[in-house]
Amino acid sequence: MNELKELARHVLEVARAEGADDVVTEAINSSIAQVRFSNNQIDCINSWNEKHVALFVAVGRRIMSTDLRALDSKDSLARELVALAKKAPPSKIYGGIAKGKFKYRPGKIDKRIVGLSDPSKYVLDAIEGAESAGANNIGGTFYVRHGRNAIASSGGAFGSDESASVDLSVRAFVQPEASGHAVCCAAKLSDLDARGIGEKAGEMGVRAKNPVQGEEGKMDIIMEPLFLGSVTQSTSHMMSAMSVEIGASMYAKKIGKRVASNEVTFVDDPTITSTSRRSYDHEGVPTRRNVLIKDGVFKTYLHNTSTAKRFKTKTTASAGPLIPTANAMAAQPLPFHPVLTPGDWKLDEIIADTKRGLYFNNTWYTRFQNYSTGEFSTIPRDAILRIENGEVVGSVKNIRVSDNLMNLWKSVDALSKAAEEVYWWDEASPPSTLPIARATGMNITRSS
Amino acid sequence: MLDEDVAEATLDLAALKADTLLAEVRLEERNSRQISIRSGQVSNVTKSSDSGMNVRIVLSNGIGFSSSNRISKSEGARLVQEAVRQAKSAKRRSPVSFSSERAIDTSWEVRQKRPLVEVSTDDKLEYLRGLDNAVMKTGAKVQGRYYEQRDYETASLLVNSEGSRIRSLLPRVVVESYNLVSSKGETEQSIREWAATGGWENVEAWALEGVLADEVRMLKRQIDKGKKVKPGVKDLVCGPEVAGIAAHESCGHPMEADRILGREMSQAGKSFVSPDMIGKKIGSRYATVIDDPTVQGSYGYYAYDQEGVKARPRYLYKEGLINEFLHNRESASRMNVQSNGASRSEFYLREPIVRMGNTFVAPGDFEEDELIGSVKDGVLMHSFTEWNIDDKRFNQKYVSREAYFVKDGELAGPARKCILEITTPAFWGAIDAASKKVVLTSGECGKGDPMQGMATDMGGPMIRLRSVMLK
Repeated sequence: MNELKELARHVLEVARAEGADDVVTEAINSSIAQVRFSNNQIDCINSWNEKHVALFVAVGRRIMSTDLRALDSKDSLARELVALAKKAPPSKIYGGIAKGKFKYRPGKIDKRIVGLSDPSKYVLDAIEGAESAGANNIGGTFYVRHGRNAIASSGGAFGSDESASVDLSVRAFVQPEASGHAVCCAAKLSDLDARGIGEKAGEMGVRAKNPVQGEEGKMDIIMEPLFLGSVTQSTSHMMSAMSVEIGASMYAKKIGKRVASNEVTFVDDPTITSTSRRSYDHEGVPTRRNVLIKDGVFKTYLHNTSTAKRFKTKTTASAGPLIPTANAMAAQPLPFHPVLTPGDWKLDEIIADTKRGLYFNNTWYTRFQNYSTGEFSTIPRDAILRIENGEVVGSVKNIRVSDNLMNLWKSVDALSKAAEEVYWWDEASPPSTLPIARATGMNITRSS
Repeated sequence: MLDEDVAEATLDLAALKADTLLAEVRLEERNSRQISIRSGQVSNVTKSSDSGMNVRIVLSNGIGFSSSNRISKSEGARLVQEAVRQAKSAKRRSPVSFSSERAIDTSWEVRQKRPLVEVSTDDKLEYLRGLDNAVMKTGAKVQGRYYEQRDYETASLLVNSEGSRIRSLLPRVVVESYNLVSSKGETEQSIREWAATGGWENVEAWALEGVLADEVRMLKRQIDKGKKVKPGVKDLVCGPEVAGIAAHESCGHPMEADRILGREMSQAGKSFVSPDMIGKKIGSRYATVIDDPTVQGSYGYYAYDQEGVKARPRYLYKEGLINEFLHNRESASRMNVQSNGASRSEFYLREPIVRMGNTFVAPGDFEEDELIGSVKDGVLMHSFTEWNIDDKRFNQKYVSREAYFVKDGELAGPARKCILEITTPAFWGAIDAASKKVVLTSGECGKGDPMQGMATDMGGPMIRLRSVMLK
């Protein structure tokens, strides 16, 4: 780990010596193995090994960033970046990086995960579990992740962090149109019950057997954490100050306003034990628990130092990756680990209390007509169970939730006591810890 | 320059294993630049170089893929060891097989009239500021403005144990826009992308100052004058952008053979299409959808796929019948056909999987005004905003961004947020006319785990759907 810290500091010093005023360097060394499976057997085992340095420099208000991946040439590349920054046009909206004496609390990792040599075993257990529950066609992914990271900045940040986690995703078909999906995210290998996850997906698939065409109309919907994880992705991105600035958020001008029902307290908490725990944001500010919605009232946007300055507030330690990604602008404030505070319901009680509703296992393809107003639709997938007069009476298919996201959160009237961490593909991402939630009177549509 | 010695030495090690059916080594290098402005101010300037290599080992009982952002003989040896171990640990019950394909030794590249690397950051910034100014000059209240330009060149070297040696150089350039227009207390949003293979000459040809100015004027008009469509059964004329998204979502994706075989079942999903549906009816005689990676200058262009198979046009739906699936070598072998060159990978860190190139509806023989002229009561949906489709690619929804009522063959004012929610056979079965001119639009297609964003074009002519339910 010291080697990574030295690497981060070295690049920082090279950039400073070349004339950069503000510098942030993040040295990253990651090793990821993935087992992909479908049709009850393993398709491919992938592994990715990367070591690189993300570098941000500012000369006055002239900003540049790069991902230094050819580390043999890191010094010359860092100097070149500063030279380019000197010639770059200034950014009037750049507000600097965080400055201070920062103390970090690095997490502890499970060394059993780092040393895991045969991840296939867990996949075979999951397949067996799903088969034992009645599924006949099973697929998914199993990831083993180990990441080491060091950060250094001209603002005083200097630290390192390490993470190790596993995540298993299992989709189990019982019939061609009857499936269940279950996931497990664990920072400790002993928390992974691969067979149990397979069984859970298989059991949900059995409950979804013989689905009939769903109906249109207003219905109460009960959302499992996996479904809610996808909704949470859209919701939490709109809490980013940069999303607000470009008009891509329904939370613009909503601080202090009601944006959800009283039941909803929504937090971003990268400090708890989870697969996305981190000690500092991408500027090197120690992470913290940020309450974003408290009892239905919007409290704060997610900020980095620069957006905080423009909004006349303080950073929430939410600076995202220095290099832009497919889904985020450079250093865009982002949630690291959203948490929806659980309620006091048992699932059985929620179902018994629902007169006419649908129970959703999972969803995908959430898309918006207009982010600033929140009109959206999403397509439930896997088990969709029909509830009448407090009982599950069958399963349905081919429906869509077509409503407004603000309305969905304002319609939440029940949250389960139990919560779980979920992460799945690009949908339920980033990892989040969520209970089961019910929203009343949501609009259900279908193809004509 | 990518080091051919490293590739050959690594391949030699990989091919030495007696039970190896196929070994591939791919070295890649990418130089990329990105600049963005929001509300007229510089938001981000990024410049990066990346290079690395991967090794894919195919054994009869498993496939291993290992990658690293280091290129050296020793790293290659480590990757071979890792990929072999991974492939062995898969312990597949049904044996892996790949279609037999001709070995290719070639080099190909896309030339740039105005090389991307020669356009300075200042010039790019001026270009983006020009877009911002053009939008501001319209007088519309555009409260959200974000414009991004990015470009990159990817050099690739693929070698395999069957004798293929393919070197390529592919430059791509992209402009994205985000606009949020407000008027009378309401808003309309537009997110668009223009992209191509080639140089800066593409950006100049797009003439986006005028396009974006027209776009925000249109959004304001939608707010000020647009009326909701009264739900009912009507005729619908779809512009090329809408025809294109349907071609991509409800033809291209369900015709991907890996999806049909279930390999994407837990992520992008399966397909309503089964292997025995070749020749089955899916739409009217106007339902011809082609996926063609060889369209010069298109965003989804490539000459050879990343398994070394030559690219060619694929007629997915042909005159209303399911005609040909998109294949890589593994899916082709499973279905006893040859690969049709649809195996693509985002970069060296990702395994190649079945992907589209440029997917579009075939042109017909009507003039555009003829299509509209025969509509008594309907809607022209030029473009879309919200869209989605289920994971078997059967139930889709498109909500208009720009649409107009059609009364007695004439446009009759803006229609706002017109909704088409329809099944795949109903969509393709309702087409009774297509215009002569195909227009392509660009998009990043998402598939794979981890997600691989893939450069694609989609499009078509104007198409007319008779008697569909609009909301």
